[in-house]
Amino acid sequence: MFDQKTLELLVSSFPKILEYGLKVTLPLAAIAFMLSTVIAVLVAMVQYANTPVLRQICRVYIWIIRGTPLLVQLMVAFYGLPLLGIRANPFVMAVVVFSINEGAYSAETMRAAMEAVPAGQLEAGYCVGMNYMQIMWHIILPQAFRTAFPSLFNALISMVKDTSLASSITVVEMFTRTKQIAGQSYNYLPLYIEVALVYLIFCTVLTFIQKKGEKILGSYGVRK
Amino acid sequence: MALLEVKNIQKAFGENGVLKGIDLTVEKGDVVSVLGPSGSGKTTLLRCINFLEKADGGSLSFEGKEYDLSRITKAEIADIRKKTGFVFQNYNLFANKTVLGNVTLGLTSARKVAKAEAESKAKEVLAKVGMAEFADYYPSQLSGGQQQRVAIARALATDPSILYFDEPTSALDPQLTAEVLEVMRELAREGMTMIVVTHEISFAKEVSTHVMFMADGNVVEEGTALEFFENPRMDRTREFLRLTSN
Ligand SMILES: Nc1ncnc2c1ncn2[C@@H]1O[C@H](COP(=O)(O)OP(=O)(O)OP(=O)(O)O)[C@@H](O)[C@H]1O
Ligand SMILES: [Mg+2]
Repeated sequence: MFDQKTLELLVSSFPKILEYGLKVTLPLAAIAFMLSTVIAVLVAMVQYANTPVLRQICRVYIWIIRGTPLLVQLMVAFYGLPLLGIRANPFVMAVVVFSINEGAYSAETMRAAMEAVPAGQLEAGYCVGMNYMQIMWHIILPQAFRTAFPSLFNALISMVKDTSLASSITVVEMFTRTKQIAGQSYNYLPLYIEVALVYLIFCTVLTFIQKKGEKILGSYGVRK
Repeated sequence: MALLEVKNIQKAFGENGVLKGIDLTVEKGDVVSVLGPSGSGKTTLLRCINFLEKADGGSLSFEGKEYDLSRITKAEIADIRKKTGFVFQNYNLFANKTVLGNVTLGLTSARKVAKAEAESKAKEVLAKVGMAEFADYYPSQLSGGQQQRVAIARALATDPSILYFDEPTSALDPQLTAEVLEVMRELAREGMTMIVVTHEISFAKEVSTHVMFMADGNVVEEGTALEFFENPRMDRTREFLRLTSN
């Protein structure tokens, strides 16, 4: 299987695959992850504050997103949005779907992390004269982020791998690019193993960053 | 004119009437001890006065302004809270902030005081409670007594007109209790106005100007500390003092 020709193919295609990893896969995951975190914080805050109506809307959002497959969500957006007159290029559409999808999961993570902050600290914040948003910003969210960081980062790592699903809506990301190269050479397996290794490298680096990040964030004087 | 006057404050949790129409008057410089058996509503009273719990009825006048407790607005609550301080039984320090951060936050965030000014104020109140050297520690690195002294500094930093204490030493062992009580004694000497819910009878005897004794959501007896401890009028008070003094 790994004859001279295959080796040459692997060597020559490596930069091409990596290029799409760096140019498409990672940016897609990174942008979607940031947006999903914004969504998650907003949705978690609505639920934490128990805001009527908005809270119900958030529950429905979480219910639908967590109850349907990501692949199906991508398809529905791809074929559905144009019918509503919304034209977006597939990359943008993928960013939107991934953000909305991950937002629903991370919202639950954030909510649990916010609820883990003892309520007494909220009361103490009121007693020193702070208002709700000031308490959120200075007390609750920083602690919640610290708690949620490992889970959120795991979600990012999963998302890097899940971006391969974007190929289903014509986004040429790292996996699609690999498929194209494989199709031209009729030499599938070695190239799929190669792209698997690139995903592995990405995720290994991210895991390393995750560990470092946890150290930097520290735990407010608690030695672990 | 009284600094704080609470009239006919009422609170029920469902069917359970916890405050059944309590009156309380606090003049500037008073140290009022609130005594009473467990479950009598002492914590609920303090929490209602500082709006951590919504009272069902009654009125409150603070620094000359009168408020209807069942109809008080968020803005009015915020105004009153800017001039009061609260010390909790279990400290409730902000876990993500250092000692200095805990003490300055009420100034920098809620009152938009410049950081440098807030920090110099914080150092002043931390010195007062004997915690100046611990400015860079996190709450988790401190003993209970140290945490409570920081909590007192946090409450003092904003120059409140009155401080509320809810059993500030009941989570502490005797030695740590002593260091916290010493700080409170000093505040009393300086003329700080305080309402102190406490089980420390000897401390109440020594420091308070007035005492209020509650049971089952009612005031059983109140008076100056001297009257209350030397000449209690009610049987229930005498019984309570007898049980708690040995
Ligand atoms: N959030 C709440 N929900 C329901 N009931 C409550 C709540 N808080 C207090 N209670 C009830 O109100 C009554 C008075 O409680 P409170 O904590 O004010 O008493 P306390 O005098 O402070 O007692 P202790 O000396 O034990 O601290 C108790 O019967 C308690 O069960
Ligand atoms: Mg209590």
